[in-house]
Amino acid sequence: MKYSIIKYLFVALILFSFQQNVVAQEDDDLMGMLDDEVGETTEYAMATFKSTRIINGHSVEQMKKYQLDFRINHRFGEIKGGAYELWGLDHALINLCFDYGVTDWLNIGFRRGTYQKTYDGSLKFRLLRQSKGKRVMPVSVSYYADMAINTLKITDPNIEDIFSNRLAYTHQLLIARKFGEKLSLQISPSFVHRNLITASEPNDVYAIGFGGRYKFIRRVAFTFEYFYASNTAASTDFYNGFSLGFDIETGGHVFQLFVTNSGAMVEKGFIAETTGNWLDGGLRYGFNMSRVFALGGSHE
Amino acid sequence: MKFKSLIFFLIAFVGIANTSSVAKQITKSGVIEIFSETPMFTIEATNKKVASILNPTTGDIVVSTLVRSFKFKEALVEEHFNENYMESAKFPKAIFKGKIINNKDIDYAKDGSTNIILEGKLTIHGTTKLIKEKGSITIKGGKISAKSEFDVSLAAYGIKVEKAYKKAIKDAIHLKIHFNFSPYAKK
Repeated sequence: MKYSIIKYLFVALILFSFQQNVVAQEDDDLMGMLDDEVGETTEYAMATFKSTRIINGHSVEQMKKYQLDFRINHRFGEIKGGAYELWGLDHALINLCFDYGVTDWLNIGFRRGTYQKTYDGSLKFRLLRQSKGKRVMPVSVSYYADMAINTLKITDPNIEDIFSNRLAYTHQLLIARKFGEKLSLQISPSFVHRNLITASEPNDVYAIGFGGRYKFIRRVAFTFEYFYASNTAASTDFYNGFSLGFDIETGGHVFQLFVTNSGAMVEKGFIAETTGNWLDGGLRYGFNMSRVFALGGSHE
Repeated sequence: MKFKSLIFFLIAFVGIANTSSVAKQITKSGVIEIFSETPMFTIEATNKKVASILNPTTGDIVVSTLVRSFKFKEALVEEHFNENYMESAKFPKAIFKGKIINNKDIDYAKDGSTNIILEGKLTIHGTTKLIKEKGSITIKGGKISAKSEFDVSLAAYGIKVEKAYKKAIKDAIHLKIHFNFSPYAKK
């Protein structure tokens, strides 16, 4: 008799603790249930670079759908002009750029630059996006293609003015990785083909670009860029492009301030035809000013 | 005899425990809109990927979403929102865990709308605050939906606005929440 009371108590105790458990789970496990339901998501790297350019060259950043990037890019003269030329500030090269997101993965671009009075048009395709979570992708990859038209008047009577002579093409694979919130690095294998060149120059130039940024405080990043081009080793006229600078972001603008030895802002120019030499003052101050406009509804 | 009554007791008990866990409600496409306006700058974004479970029996409700799911018209503003303010790489989720205090006022079996008071813990930007806000639960043709609107203070959740932008960005961000639930079925 006494024994069965204990048995009852024991069962009651178990039941009681069981009920406690159920109640506790009600509270806590709704969140667990929700997490199970939602499952693991894919998180894409955001803002590997602050704008579509690292300095001269394109970054893996794309304009999203319906977003228009209008840029005014400026390069002053070489600082070796000294005080007389106000260290280059007396001269300026300009490039007006429009880059537009047709879709999140396709950008079209149109530009006009002072260098060789060049018009150029470009296509930029996003091939891969760096991501973690459900889908893991270590790098972002874009393909960039540019066609440039030199529209200088031809003064040399020996050169026949055929339209195709004025064309140059650039193809780049842009491969970048964002290492945490601060550091991003990019490698850009590049190929430039120029239809017409001077006798001592090759038509085809192979190059590899290295670029990166280090965001050391909120809204400000240090940037660098280097292009090693195949035509520079044999040439005394052309140098590899090297640039150092800062990205500064405000609400709707990104300012890029830097020094570079390239005057041209079109790919075939700053990859294959950089004339400045860092070692003898062949540097220029430069800035890119970018303003992004949303031309359509909210992007997805 | 005693043993039989015990079994009966047990079955009855388990039965009760079970009824309290049926008819949970879930959504994965809840909507939260955020809005804040100053003469200089308007912040406006919509998140259509908010997940929530409501337990009508107890009034318990949980809400969870990725901060990254807030979509802005301007991509650059969206970047600033994530990178500089919400720090969504560090704090990817916003979470609410709470209760409808006056749950007993709601008749889930009948069409109609009931004003509710929500109380619970809201976690944004890694900071958790106890909140108590008004809302409503509407039942229409057996479908349950929930609505609520309230302001969230940026400063309260440790979201820093630089001095230069204090005039452009208001501290109070208005949230407009709308969930359409459907019955939860275990995966």
